[in-house]
Amino acid sequence: MKTTSTFALLALAIGFSSCSDDKDETAVAPALQATTVNNLAAGVTTANGGGGQPTSATKYTFFSFANNAQVATADSNTTKWDVGFRGTTIIINGGNSGPGQGGALVQSGLFADIATAPETGFKVDAASGKAITTGSGMGWYNYDGATNIVTPIAGKVILVRTATGKYAKVEIVSYYQNAPATPTATSVSRYYSFRYVYQPDGSRNLK
Amino acid sequence: MAFARFFCISSLSGLALPALAQQPTDTLRRQQLGEVVVTATRTERSISEVPIPVTVVGVKQIKAMGAVRLNDVLGEQTGLSIVADHGRGVQMQGLNPEYTLILVDGEPLIGRTAGTLELSRVAVGNIQRVEIVKGPASAMWGSEALAGVVNIITQKPQDGTSGTLRLRYGSNRTADVSASVNTQGERLGLTAFVNRYSSAGYTLRPESGTASVPPFANYTAQSRLTYKLGERTRLSVSGRYFTESQASTYPVAAGTGTASVRYESRQQDYSFNPVLTHGTANGRLFATARFYLAGYRTRENYTYAADGAPYDNTYFNQTFLRPEVQLDWRLGSKHTLTGGAGYINEGVEATRYDAVQHMQSYYGFVQDDWTPLPGLNIVAGARYDGHNQYPGQLSPKASARYQVRPWLAVRGSAGRGYRAPDFRQLYLNFSNPVVGYSVFGTQEVRARLAALAAAGQLVPDPATGLPLINNALLDRASSLRPESSVAYNAGLQLDPTDKLSLTASYFRNTLRDLIETTPLAQKTNGQSVFTYYNVSQAYTQGVEAEAGYQLRPGLRLSGGYQFLLAKDQAVEARLATGDVYRRDPTTLITERVKAADYGGLFNRSKHSGNVKLFYESPAKGLTASLRGIYRGRYGFQDLNGNAILDTDAEYVRGYTLWNVAASKTWQQRYTLQVGVDNALGYTDPAYISTLPGRLLYASVELRLSKK
Repeated sequence: MKTTSTFALLALAIGFSSCSDDKDETAVAPALQATTVNNLAAGVTTANGGGGQPTSATKYTFFSFANNAQVATADSNTTKWDVGFRGTTIIINGGNSGPGQGGALVQSGLFADIATAPETGFKVDAASGKAITTGSGMGWYNYDGATNIVTPIAGKVILVRTATGKYAKVEIVSYYQNAPATPTATSVSRYYSFRYVYQPDGSRNLK
Repeated sequence: MAFARFFCISSLSGLALPALAQQPTDTLRRQQLGEVVVTATRTERSISEVPIPVTVVGVKQIKAMGAVRLNDVLGEQTGLSIVADHGRGVQMQGLNPEYTLILVDGEPLIGRTAGTLELSRVAVGNIQRVEIVKGPASAMWGSEALAGVVNIITQKPQDGTSGTLRLRYGSNRTADVSASVNTQGERLGLTAFVNRYSSAGYTLRPESGTASVPPFANYTAQSRLTYKLGERTRLSVSGRYFTESQASTYPVAAGTGTASVRYESRQQDYSFNPVLTHGTANGRLFATARFYLAGYRTRENYTYAADGAPYDNTYFNQTFLRPEVQLDWRLGSKHTLTGGAGYINEGVEATRYDAVQHMQSYYGFVQDDWTPLPGLNIVAGARYDGHNQYPGQLSPKASARYQVRPWLAVRGSAGRGYRAPDFRQLYLNFSNPVVGYSVFGTQEVRARLAALAAAGQLVPDPATGLPLINNALLDRASSLRPESSVAYNAGLQLDPTDKLSLTASYFRNTLRDLIETTPLAQKTNGQSVFTYYNVSQAYTQGVEAEAGYQLRPGLRLSGGYQFLLAKDQAVEARLATGDVYRRDPTTLITERVKAADYGGLFNRSKHSGNVKLFYESPAKGLTASLRGIYRGRYGFQDLNGNAILDTDAEYVRGYTLWNVAASKTWQQRYTLQVGVDNALGYTDPAYISTLPGRLLYASVELRLSKK
């Protein structure tokens, strides 16, 4: 069901990293790579809550950036996962959603341009709202009430503090199975495709 | 939901000819020269002299192209586009249908859905002429006349007694049957018109499981009674009734599959309009008292096709009541003063409104029509509308026309237009049962938020425990203002020879306080509560040009063109700061959008135009016409995640429709007409549901009269 692929983050990133004179050092500290995740199913069940949303009984789909892998529902109360998806709602492993140190903020800009995670502005999930605000036009997507299509807003990058306090940047590119160029009413929703860069060394550097 | 009826456009150009054009060369042209219009100044004025450009489409043109509904007539006029959004409305100077006021004999047609007044509700069989005024006319006509006014002038009783019977049949089993009678005696005059219009509809995309236009049938009855109470006192009473039924089935999502839902709708409108006029013996004073009562009702019933179980039910009832008085006073030879006042009471009751809602407004207007010098005419006026739900509106307008040379006239005008918030924006109480969001009108939102908060359905602020409501937005919603515009128009009218006429004008409308929805609180189900507020600014500007040339007696060639730019100023500002992005739908790579890529507001063609050839031979009883109507490409929907128009894939292809018609009349009594609309059969099933392809039709008409 899920396929993942990895590629070097554009020629741009490679270009910057190759500024070093020392070839050995280049080998030791390679540029961060962007990982693309396709068709991560988020609350796809036979029960249809309508409007592109799952029913409230549907479980979140958990994902770990460090392992580039889905995490079992049974591990929901651990720091094994960083983000969870259900319909258009995205939670982070922190606040009232999980036991981790997670947090998030949504920033405008180009995914490739964002070099560091900001010092401030990270929010955590709370009763008053998710760190990644839900609702059309509020967070990462627009919902068209006429066509019932959910479109990730171009130029919205989610900066995530993971369950273990590391940083990542995420750009969601499609909400539909196999990322059709023009989703229609018959496209199957709740399949996330996104790209992310994860910084394992604990620094805020994301490039 | 579904579009009712057809889109078969056709008509003849109604080029405004100047006063000083020489000998008319055919009857069509003669008719235009003597044309009297009322919409520009609310008084009868010769079309060639009014400072405000008016397009007139007369009965002859309407008949010559076999038009049956109002959208047929408007769709062929330069600068107008028929656009579909909950019905087919008219886009004027790049502004949506909700900004054009539609009048019948000076009284507004009511019953708009999402701002669009379905033009096909108006049969044209009893129309004497259609007057089109572009540019804001709120100074005379009040709300909605922001882009302009379309005034449908119905037939008045003519001397003698006559009757007509007309049958027309065409593609898609479309039948139009109408009958009219007219009589005028010493004191009493009467016209009556009845029409039945029906079609089997058509399906452009069978795979969608639903018809593009489902079968429908409608009936119109209209009548006017006139009575001469005295030498200079007249009473006119007119009434109208319209009803339409339509039914279809369409699929809805149910569990993992779909279920078929049957949809049945019925809409009706009616009006009653007595008008009393009196002129003084010296002809200096003319008084008009009018009363207008109108209603519009819809019923929509949805049931599961399988077992007849109810799926949804909606209704909408609107009433409009307006008494009005007007006084025209000729002051010396240079001034005509016009003043008037009125009161409006509107009511609505509907599925999505809590109770019967009433809005009251009153208004007064003044105007001076001044001719300081021969050849120079200045019209200046203003209107004030007071309202019980939003701030009062003052709408001034001034316009002037100067005949510089016998072959050259210049015109200019500046004015303000406005559009009042509609019922939906004030009173809506809607919660989507499927997705769970709520939308409340600005008069409702405070009470509804309080109710949701009391029910614990709003997300609380963790610090205070109180519901998290954006109070700044709530205050803005509570002080909702009408949308308004400031507009300019400047133009030339050229008549280099008696065969050639040219007009060109520049227009600009700057719109403020456009009303949009905004979320202002979060529900515990993760969805938002929305209301309306004034936020955006936009402009439309462009150039419109028309030319007419008399090739031979009876043969006239004309053309029209509009260049249009329409942009959202907030988007322009964001583009300037580099804050707009787009994601290629195929590669999924995101990039910054350059300002030059912004194509403006959706659904507007930068280029549009028409070419028309019209032939008429009264001696032989022949008419014929060929009309080509071009609509350039226009934005359809966002495909790359930025909600603006910026890539080629987001446009609908431009197209040209060719319409032909010919008629032959025998003994001035029998007329046979045949025609083809959209002769090349252009369709675009994916994007244009209102273009059914080639439509053939034939009609016969019988006229009986005695003097």
